[in-house]
Amino acid sequence: MSAALDIDGVTAGYGESMVLRDVRLSVAPGEVVAVLGKNGMGKTTLLKTVMGFLPARAGRVRIAGADVTGTPPHRRAARAVAYGPQDRAIFQELTVGENLRLALPRGVRDMQAGIERLAAFFPFLASRQRQRAGTLSGGEQKMLIMARALLTRPRLLLIDEITEGLQPSVITRLGEVVRAERAASGIAVLLVEQNVGFALSVADRYAVLARGEIADEGPADADAAARVAAHLSV
Amino acid sequence: MIGLLLDVATTAAILFVVAAGLLITFGVLKIINFAHGGFLTVGGYAALVVTQAGGSPWLAAPAAFVAGVVLGAAVERVIVRPLYSRPLDAILATWGLGIVIVQLITLAFGRGTNFVPSPVSGAVAAFGTDYSAWRLIMLVVAVLLAAALAALLQGTRLGLEARAVIMNEELAQGLGIDSTRVRFVTFALGAGLAAFAGALITPLLSVDPLMGVPWLLNAFMLVLVSGTSLASLGLASLLLGGAQVVISTYGNPVLGALSIVVLAAVLLRIRPAGFARG
Repeated sequence: MSAALDIDGVTAGYGESMVLRDVRLSVAPGEVVAVLGKNGMGKTTLLKTVMGFLPARAGRVRIAGADVTGTPPHRRAARAVAYGPQDRAIFQELTVGENLRLALPRGVRDMQAGIERLAAFFPFLASRQRQRAGTLSGGEQKMLIMARALLTRPRLLLIDEITEGLQPSVITRLGEVVRAERAASGIAVLLVEQNVGFALSVADRYAVLARGEIADEGPADADAAARVAAHLSV
Repeated sequence: MIGLLLDVATTAAILFVVAAGLLITFGVLKIINFAHGGFLTVGGYAALVVTQAGGSPWLAAPAAFVAGVVLGAAVERVIVRPLYSRPLDAILATWGLGIVIVQLITLAFGRGTNFVPSPVSGAVAAFGTDYSAWRLIMLVVAVLLAAALAALLQGTRLGLEARAVIMNEELAQGLGIDSTRVRFVTFALGAGLAAFAGALITPLLSVDPLMGVPWLLNAFMLVLVSGTSLASLGLASLLLGGAQVVISTYGNPVLGALSIVVLAAVLLRIRPAGFARG
């Protein structure tokens, strides 16, 4: 069985400067991999390259075995890939319901089952579909990003610093929903995080990105936190 | 007085139809389409061709709409799409295209002024006054069109995708929306609206190769003060179009013709967001 995501020697960047250099990382179906690292080390660039917003200057990106290098973002999303960016991640002027509806593939109209499933974790989704998304609290906006990403049961979830600025109770709930969805549908997750505690609590494996290269990787076991901390403190 | 109010309403309605096409194109593609006046002229000549070929004047506007959509689709595919990553060049290309359209029409039809017969003639009693029957029909058509556009944007999947692309194109793409397709459909629809408006006004105005120029100018200024909101555009059309009618009626038609451009420029000076929120 091929990997849900295979990042194979990818180099990418902006203009002349390469932010990522020969990055190799793969995520098996049903696996949660956390990408950790300090600010400016290339974590967000990695997700943007996987999604196709940034071209890979070298290397290949494969999604469920299919080489998608060079294809536009909407075609990658169509391969059951959900992406939750860090910045400007919701349509503020649209309603909660419209934000969710945009995640449905063309031709699919019914999202009631998905909303009921996710409302078990985020109850406001069911009752506030007509509210403008920009008027949600910061935590609710993050929950909306997560719900929109999970609505259609993707095979691969790419999520960028979802816990940033959130209170611990919301972070706990986000961790619960990732674990539950993984158990229910075997979703693979590539999680970019600054919050090492949260990341290691949901991940099977971790990778540390430093200056655009994978500096360390390993299982998210009892020693992982100490090893990651050593890299982040440098 | 009733006549003046009806003049304001019909002028605003037709301005709205012309500017709406320019506005949705601007919102989705992030470029001002300076060939919009050219598309409007194509609509006027489509009306001329249809009626001269013996077609009913009622067919003029629908035929112009179809011609505009087909032309817009071809232009988007051949000229605009290759310049997506260079918006300034795309704007210049539409400017050049507008000039080419005028020249081609001049070659085909000559510089002369033409007249298109009206589907209806004379005046009817309305609101206690006698008023041009065609202007009343135009008003109804424009209001129906505005309602249809609003329904398209608010009530359909394509409309939702278009609004998403207007607000944040990259986020929309990440959710699986083919923004290239949304741009294509929007540009074709915008061109169709321009041509439709061009045919709609032919019973009132003569058809000549430069007929689109004043409409382009006015629509451009209206879009500048309205941002990407159709509601703001409706308000701007009513207020600035109303000012144009009042100034033309009680002042002087030359000043009236300039009033939208001048008032919009003044408004933008005082309030850079214009009628748009924020």
